[in-house]
Amino acid sequence: MDWMGYLHEALPGAGQNVLLMAAIVIPLMIVLEVARELKILDWAARRMSPLMGFSRLSPQAAFPLLVGIIFGIAYGAGVLIEEARSGRLDWKDIFLINIFLSVCHAVVEDTALFMAVGANGPVILLGRLIAAVLITWLISRTAWLERENLRHGAPGEVKSGGVNC
Amino acid sequence: MLTAATFKTGFQRGLFTTWKLAKVIVPVYLMVTLLKYTPVMGLVAGFFEPLMHFFGLPGEASLVLVLGKVLNLYAALGAISSLELTGREITIIATMLLLSHNLPVESAVSAGTGVSAIWITVFRLGISVISGLLLNLML
Repeated sequence: MDWMGYLHEALPGAGQNVLLMAAIVIPLMIVLEVARELKILDWAARRMSPLMGFSRLSPQAAFPLLVGIIFGIAYGAGVLIEEARSGRLDWKDIFLINIFLSVCHAVVEDTALFMAVGANGPVILLGRLIAAVLITWLISRTAWLERENLRHGAPGEVKSGGVNC
Repeated sequence: MLTAATFKTGFQRGLFTTWKLAKVIVPVYLMVTLLKYTPVMGLVAGFFEPLMHFFGLPGEASLVLVLGKVLNLYAALGAISSLELTGREITIIATMLLLSHNLPVESAVSAGTGVSAIWITVFRLGISVISGLLLNLML
């Protein structure tokens, strides 16, 4: 095996990777922190809540949805669990939000990182958003969803899947 | 209210996140690059070529997809930066992975909010495959 060739490629390559990641992630985290501080997410969620009806979601779904879209599934799920416990969201809301987020979450960070290695930013971002909106809307219109929602009972009665909450 | 502390916190988060990413990206990158210098990469590429063809991807891309789905996006990124892929191929891989990555962990998180882990995984794999096929036709 060509060890010299390998080291010659791998070592500088690894360093470049780290620098590239840092150059993207550090400014990104600063921007997100500023947004968090200025409560931009709360403002955006309030503006977005009328749109929730499009997929038969409660207005309160806007905030956990936005948190998940921007910050990622772990944060989104955290907010979601809290909203569910407080009874502000019913089973249908939680299910649809999960569907949406599983397709489209952490969009800022993920899109930036993949653009850095050569992907077409608009394509991957739009692809995810469109897929998420479409799929969520489709599922929200099914009779199956209504039946399941009734079966799962009143708001606040979230049955955990057995994983740490 | 914006203060210097805000920026400092953001900066520290940035450093911490970079470290978190580097811990995954660097070892994967080193390992995939190593494989390129052995016959293994050629074997894997050849074996998966017929399947990857449906997505408009070369055989090596199978490695990226598996790393992304089983591990996480950062492992996939580490592999991508080691292989020579065109922008179009990276875009297709990116979309497929963005729709289904880190499956073991993320489905467990979703399950914690009351949604079946198995169905979410099947769902995400499904749309991942569909998106790859579609993008291959459209791009």
